[in-house]
Amino acid sequence: MAALCRLRFCVRSSYSSIRTSFSSDSADRPRSGFAAAFEQQTELRREAESSSAGLSGASSGQNESFGSLLRRSAFIQMGPAKDRVVVGRIFHVVQDDLYIDFGGKFHCVCRRPESGGEKLQRGSRVRLRLQDLELTARFLGAKTDTTLLEARAVLLGPMESRDSRDPRTGTETVREPQNRVVDQKPEEQNQKVLD
Amino acid sequence: MAARALTKGLCRFRPALSGQHFVTASSVSLPQTQQDDVSDQILKLPLEKPDFFRVSELFSLKDLFDARVHLGHKNTCRHRLMEPYLYGCRLDHDIIDLDQTMEHLQLALNFTAHVAYRGGVILFVSRRRQFCHLVETTAKECGEYAHTRYWKGGLLTNADIQLGQWVRLPDLIIFLSTLNNVFQQHVAVRDAAKMNIPTVAVVDSNCNPSLVTYPVPGNDDTPVAMELYCRLFKMTINRGKDKRKQMELLRGLSAPSESR
Repeated sequence: MAALCRLRFCVRSSYSSIRTSFSSDSADRPRSGFAAAFEQQTELRREAESSSAGLSGASSGQNESFGSLLRRSAFIQMGPAKDRVVVGRIFHVVQDDLYIDFGGKFHCVCRRPESGGEKLQRGSRVRLRLQDLELTARFLGAKTDTTLLEARAVLLGPMESRDSRDPRTGTETVREPQNRVVDQKPEEQNQKVLD
Repeated sequence: MAARALTKGLCRFRPALSGQHFVTASSVSLPQTQQDDVSDQILKLPLEKPDFFRVSELFSLKDLFDARVHLGHKNTCRHRLMEPYLYGCRLDHDIIDLDQTMEHLQLALNFTAHVAYRGGVILFVSRRRQFCHLVETTAKECGEYAHTRYWKGGLLTNADIQLGQWVRLPDLIIFLSTLNNVFQQHVAVRDAAKMNIPTVAVVDSNCNPSLVTYPVPGNDDTPVAMELYCRLFKMTINRGKDKRKQMELLRGLSAPSESR
């Protein structure tokens, strides 16, 4: 249980949006023993990172090994793709078909919804519920699977323009290289990692 | 001029049948040896260093990672011969080992730069319709050739008849995807091996890397990754060609002054 808690805290410490939720949690309940010591250490590490971020922001990224980059990537952190809510961006439109890129290997193609469909054009961000990252099937007599080179997802709707800006730079990145798993509620995130 | 030197050499070795002694070849005129030396030097100098064109500066592990080069197909689509290049499998999705990709990409780009430096003809081949335009524009921008349409049977092996006599075949073929539209290996991979044409290919986890001279294990399905490869190949080819022009200018200026 302690090991799981530690993994949870380490993994989530890199996401800036969660820092506020953690600090509010820690302020509410007074911690003792291992929890207090660990909190102190994570705060020290966070301060050290923030102080060195200004100095060597790019070079620290360059020195990371492939294993650590992979481990911290959204693809691994996300876990199974079934029923995971992600944010995608429409990069091509063919009449009623929207080609949406959500940071995975393949894009998905969704039909334009009847209500509010006119707002969805090239470049608009949408919320998707992933079903499969790659549609493959083994046919009779084949040695390997046949792949459709597409992912499957259900279109939930456009991304509401809330405070989805990056607090550090103050700009909203249009194309992000990795999956962006939508944060539903702060309590639910903790549940998600433990599941 | 070469013929003259050759005949002089032959004269030296002709048996003296009539008994007359022949005059040994006078020393070859100075500007010719200088030119040969200069051209030899131009061709040999890049071979002395392992990374003469510094292609390893063009990309980094982070660039490859951000371009999703490490994402492979599902494990059920995997080709048996790609297993050494895979880092592992995560929830049925193959992950390509980017450390190996870095090494292979560096070798492939270095080779491409050397071929471009020596004035070789480079052919880009890809049968992915999604990236056909990108590959063609890349080829145009670096002054090389591209073939992204249906590949006729004997284009390389029967070139004398199909394309005309004395057609210069490519000196390097770069595959941005080794599969054709029906997920079989592109005919050009086998034909290039038959015609002794070296190949550089981006091989995904469902491709066969065995006939490729310089395989680069990586994702060939995502537009970001394809744009990265195209940009890298374009930059290396331009670097090779610019370096050649620079060397010729430098040596070209110095050679006539030495002969004086």
